[in-house]
Amino acid sequence: MLTNYLVLLKRDQFGRDMVSKKNKKKKFHSFQDTILNLQKYWAKQGCLILQPYDIEVGAGTFHPATTLRSLGEKPWKTAYVQPSRRPSDGRYGDNPNRLQHYYQFQVLIKPSPQNIKKLYLNSIASIGINYKDHDIRFVEDDWESPTLGASGLGWEVWCNGMEITQFTYFQQMAGIECKPISVEITYGLERLCMFIQNKKNVFDLEWNNDGVLYREVFYQAEKEYSAYNFEFANTNNLFKIFDMLEDEAKSLTENKISLPAYDQCLKASHVFNILDSRGVISVAQRAEYIARIRNLTKNIGKVWLESQS
Amino acid sequence: MSEFFLELFSEEIPAKLQVNARKNIYDNLKKFFDENEVKIKGQIKVFSTPNRLVVYIEKIAKSINKKSEEIRGPSIKAPEQAIEGFMRSNNVKKNQIYKKTTDKGDFYFYKNPSKKINTIELIRENIPNILNKISWNKSMKWGNHDLYWGRPLKSILTVFDGKKIDYDFYHLKSSNNTYIDKDFEEKTKKFNNFKSYNSYFKSIGIIIDQDKRKSFIKNELLKLSNKKNLKINFNEKLLDEITNIVEKPKILLCEFDKRFLEVPKEIIIITMQNHQKYFPTFDKKEKITNNFFVVADVKDKEGFVKDGNERVVEARLSDAEFFWKRNRSNNLVKQVSKLKDISYFQGLGSYFDKVQRIRKLSAFISDELLISKEKMEIASSVCKVDLMSDLVGEFPELQGVMGGYFAESQGFDNEISLAISEHYLPIGMEGRTPKKLYSIALSLSDKIDSLVGFFGINLKPTSSKDPYALRRMAISLIRLIIENNINIKIRDLISYSCVTYKEQSFEFDVKLLNNELSEFIFERLKNYMKEKEIRYDIIESSTSITTIDEILKIFKKSSVLSKNIKKDYGLNTIAIYKRCLNIVNSEINEKDEINSSPDPGLFKNDFEKNLYKKINDIRKYFSSAGREENYLESLKTLSGAKLYVDNFFDNVVVNDDDPIIKKNRLELLKMLCKSFENYFNFSKIEA
Repeated sequence: MLTNYLVLLKRDQFGRDMVSKKNKKKKFHSFQDTILNLQKYWAKQGCLILQPYDIEVGAGTFHPATTLRSLGEKPWKTAYVQPSRRPSDGRYGDNPNRLQHYYQFQVLIKPSPQNIKKLYLNSIASIGINYKDHDIRFVEDDWESPTLGASGLGWEVWCNGMEITQFTYFQQMAGIECKPISVEITYGLERLCMFIQNKKNVFDLEWNNDGVLYREVFYQAEKEYSAYNFEFANTNNLFKIFDMLEDEAKSLTENKISLPAYDQCLKASHVFNILDSRGVISVAQRAEYIARIRNLTKNIGKVWLESQS
Repeated sequence: MSEFFLELFSEEIPAKLQVNARKNIYDNLKKFFDENEVKIKGQIKVFSTPNRLVVYIEKIAKSINKKSEEIRGPSIKAPEQAIEGFMRSNNVKKNQIYKKTTDKGDFYFYKNPSKKINTIELIRENIPNILNKISWNKSMKWGNHDLYWGRPLKSILTVFDGKKIDYDFYHLKSSNNTYIDKDFEEKTKKFNNFKSYNSYFKSIGIIIDQDKRKSFIKNELLKLSNKKNLKINFNEKLLDEITNIVEKPKILLCEFDKRFLEVPKEIIIITMQNHQKYFPTFDKKEKITNNFFVVADVKDKEGFVKDGNERVVEARLSDAEFFWKRNRSNNLVKQVSKLKDISYFQGLGSYFDKVQRIRKLSAFISDELLISKEKMEIASSVCKVDLMSDLVGEFPELQGVMGGYFAESQGFDNEISLAISEHYLPIGMEGRTPKKLYSIALSLSDKIDSLVGFFGINLKPTSSKDPYALRRMAISLIRLIIENNINIKIRDLISYSCVTYKEQSFEFDVKLLNNELSEFIFERLKNYMKEKEIRYDIIESSTSITTIDEILKIFKKSSVLSKNIKKDYGLNTIAIYKRCLNIVNSEINEKDEINSSPDPGLFKNDFEKNLYKKINDIRKYFSSAGREENYLESLKTLSGAKLYVDNFFDNVVVNDDDPIIKKNRLELLKMLCKSFENYFNFSKIEA
């Protein structure tokens, strides 16, 4: 997964060159244009453009359109933006590179196409990165998600030494061997835009072309959620809520309704993340909680797969 | 002779997998050609770039002659069906088989004629199987295919003597084409030999041969750094890794803002090497500079690559700088109580608990090492505080080191700062061992506390698993003692450590723990000695009679004996001991109790008296040697008894008619053995 490490930029001349030929007037793509361009590009490649999942998740991978749809034999192609929450990465808006809430752009294609590298390189060209002028590298990065019971092999894509994308061939999901194999491409949108717009601070990103900055949209949220995640979340209640969600997920799984069960599992996972950032989970407990979530995912994966045949 | 050339084109294969695949495919092919007696002049060469795995044999026999072979069929008594089956399977007629008598009976035989087989056919038939046998440490599937490979395999080029070899490998068909652009698999190009392939890629800047690529990178780096008066500490691992992640290396000299040089250099180096795969540079005085080298895989026409990499480093360093400024002024002492919130391990308390135990243990050690107890206690109390810093969160490998920096910038005594900085060292067999007493004491206390704790809650390593790295910890402990010449009684430390746990109400079975942990440390000591190439029989004997309190002594004696065992004083010492021991053992009477105290009044001649005198000299030597014992000197002293022993055996009959005289002589020999055992039990040593 993309770590929430965003890189800042310094020189101006760089940004100028990032302009695509059609948009000569504009200096660079705004945050919202970047999203629109990626959506347009992947739609043209036949991907269904979906909307974000309406439950807090740690990454685009958790959207059922990726986790569950990567299981089974039916072909599937999708792209969507997913707000991602990592409570312990919050910095009260003080750090120019770290957020507890940020956006991922997620692409999932099953089976993975032969020319996926080409498709990917053209996608970054569509947002203004001309790969021929840059040092684009596919650097080993194997991925594992203990809570999803998932693993994959792939790379992080570096552009001039900076990680801009995560590129993964899923091998296992919810403890089930994938066949056929899906390929997942995850762009960290803030980081990518900081590169494109040549910004040092994520809050200085231009959201649109009319001068609205990322700060106006999210600064207060970062401050308040950091306070919630680190100081005010009621941990006694959260521990109880976790247990309740787990029970609910189990009973729904037993009743073979996989999608609502998966929702409970996602909620439990987010509650766990908050507890973790509140620092009330010991090392040993941590492993235990992760195993509990994994068990839920595995059983839900099985039920979902059965429902597909 | 013919040429064989194979290229496997794939998406980017990680460095380690490439190295492994090169070796694997070489071994498999070598074995195959050897088994089939295919002659090869020169070497099988295997090259790789991230996308291309290439095999090239310049001269391989065009064909092989399969010698005529006699094939045994069924017994002559076998039913007709079996005989017909034999003929059918070898495709021969009745008149081509014959009977022959062997020592197992009479059988039908068939002699197949010698046969010429074309190598190209042999390869065509077997290559899919050979490719299938490449064992990847980690492999994957993709799309709808069944093949497992390091990363998706896209095409196979196979050429023999200018002609392509056709075969199927899973969903792929071999050809004499390959993709020429690694990202856009569109344009292909035909190659009928390796030379044209290699020179084509050379013309577009790609170096296929990894050895050439490596020396190119190294030479360029040297050239550029010399020009700029910079030094690079070549890290072979990094150089190898970089060699395997680029195909057309271009070296860029980059720089970052000088203000970041205020950040501890370890952070700068880790950021450069581990995270970004850059080469940091140093000036003549070994001080780190703000210049660094990037090995890019593209020509930096527009200067974007240089700019981009500089930005990445500055972003990372400014993050680190932000944390450094924030963390270093954060008072270490005031933070100690916050360690209560961090669990060390379930059943072993918090880090605060651990630090309290280490403080007591290291104070105890400070008395033994004659260093300031007060300083020791300060160092122990704050040594784990850096675990709560942002920097150690970001750079976990810098635990301790960061604590040292914080202590230094907050004005702690130098010895204290250094002790904090070094208290995780040494890390197993690797790397350096602290040399300063405060560092040694703190490291020892930390390790003893961990070992005792984990053994106490019964989380001992098993033969295959050691999740808490306790073996490594024990090795570190042994190295601290041996490499620093420290005389310290480990059993006392273990006992005292148990007391510190008990004071916090962690109750362990102290006796069991002592036994198990001592045995565990002993086993590690044996391993350590093995690494130091001490002979196995010496290791076994050295550890059989004493306790782990004697680690230093055991090691020193064993290594002196191991080094000198073939010299005359080594050989003599062992020979004397064994000769005497053998006589005592064979002549000893069950009723008699030999307690190595001969009665000088019973000696009948000077040979006995002289030997007795010599043994007493040896005893005196050992009792005066004490802690300062020089083990080579001891060995020489022992071998000095040779003349007296020889004279004794040449002139004295041990087996005297008078049982009292006989017993007295056995007492004398036993006394010698006992004295020798002051050094070592030589009985199981092979000279």
